Amino acid sequence: MTHLSSYIDHTLLKPTATEAEIIKLCEEAKKFRFFSVCTNSYFTALTKEHTKNSNVKVCTVVGFPLGAMSTEAKVYETIQAMKDGTDEIDMVINLGLLKAKDYTGVVRDIASVKNRLPNNVLKVIIETCYLTDDEIIKACELSIQAGADFIKTSTGFGPHGATLEHVKLMKTTSNGRVKIKASGGIKDFKTAIEYIKIGVDRIGTSAGITIVTGK
Amino acid sequence: MNISKHIEYTLLKPTTTEREIIDLCYEAIQNDYYGVCINSSYVALARQLLENSPTKVCSVVGFPFGAMSTDAKVFEAKKAIEDGAEEIEMVINLGFLKSKNYVSVLKDISDVKMAIGNTTLKVILEISELNKNEIIKACEICLDANVDFIKTSSGFSKGGATLTATKIIKKTIKDAAKITASGDIEDLETSMKYLEVGVHRIGFNALLNKKTKKARPIS
Repeated sequence: MTHLSSYIDHTLLKPTATEAEIIKLCEEAKKFRFFSVCTNSYFTALTKEHTKNSNVKVCTVVGFPLGAMSTEAKVYETIQAMKDGTDEIDMVINLGLLKAKDYTGVVRDIASVKNRLPNNVLKVIIETCYLTDDEIIKACELSIQAGADFIKTSTGFGPHGATLEHVKLMKTTSNGRVKIKASGGIKDFKTAIEYIKIGVDRIGTSAGITIVTGK
Repeated sequence: MNISKHIEYTLLKPTTTEREIIDLCYEAIQNDYYGVCINSSYVALARQLLENSPTKVCSVVGFPFGAMSTDAKVFEAKKAIEDGAEEIEMVINLGFLKSKNYVSVLKDISDVKMAIGNTTLKVILEISELNKNEIIKACEICLDANVDFIKTSSGFSKGGATLTATKIIKKTIKDAAKITASGDIEDLETSMKYLEVGVHRIGFNALLNKKTKKARPIS
């Protein structure tokens, strides 16, 4: 098995996060060899600066955490994050369009962002806590259709985060066509391993250090 | 007193559907509310529904964290105005404020203000995350940036408006900007208390309205 730390997107997304906290996050990511640091877009440049000359990637959230901003604004936020040095983008799906079965709108929202980063990883957060099983299946299909590289369970700011059941459903539906990131509420070694065993490719967590050292 | 003209009828939950926006706009017209407050992906739809009505369309920007890059906030605001928004409500950059990086807090707001010209700009402080000194500092920065309104809360944090915080805001800004109190305000009596301490607008959550029924704050 690949080393556990390389599954981790070391994450700090609370709106009150300070510059000092973000710099600490970057230092921790380098020390523990996490895959990336994941932050809001106003910290992308700072994160890039503090991870340069390391293998740690920069991951930026877009349209976060509601996914309800206009498609054009999501695209622009993505372009700006790319300029600031991000390697990966985690965007939130438009849940209102999905609930209203406006599937063309959902695909357009995702594809418009993906078109701007053909060579970089795009993860689509489908916020499973708000979705029925049918909606999860549909969200996976639409994300794949729109060119997403990953589907991701949760923002961490909804009523709950990832569940094993939801991830299994995403895994069955996507059937190898896209990777999966589980996030929200994964806080210890045992839980992280459970997700990896069922085929998750990445874990988003603020508890990365506990996961890799705590057991 | 008829307070309907002070009400910003608000629906910001991420799962909001087109149908719910249609209901929101019609209820706002029927009740003669000041405006509707919505996420930017629904501005064009709301504009269309409210054509020929005095009810204003207000779009949130950088919502609800205020943590997106300044350039992205500027773009989201300009796009919302192009789609028909008449007022912009942006969330202050809380991380910069907590870092005491006041230059960046001011630049974040000023850049949006300059980009939107005469369109009304409201800045959400998210008072539940701030101590008294931070509220005062945030208000002073907003005045430096020439904002039109200061708004207490996004409705997505651990708490909404409080009378205590609202009084601090009022004392700091006096009449140099107006105030919107929002979050957790769901009845006429509470709304009146805020208006009495000098608030100009009340952000009224359409979901609370539906849940409680009795809560509709009409004179």
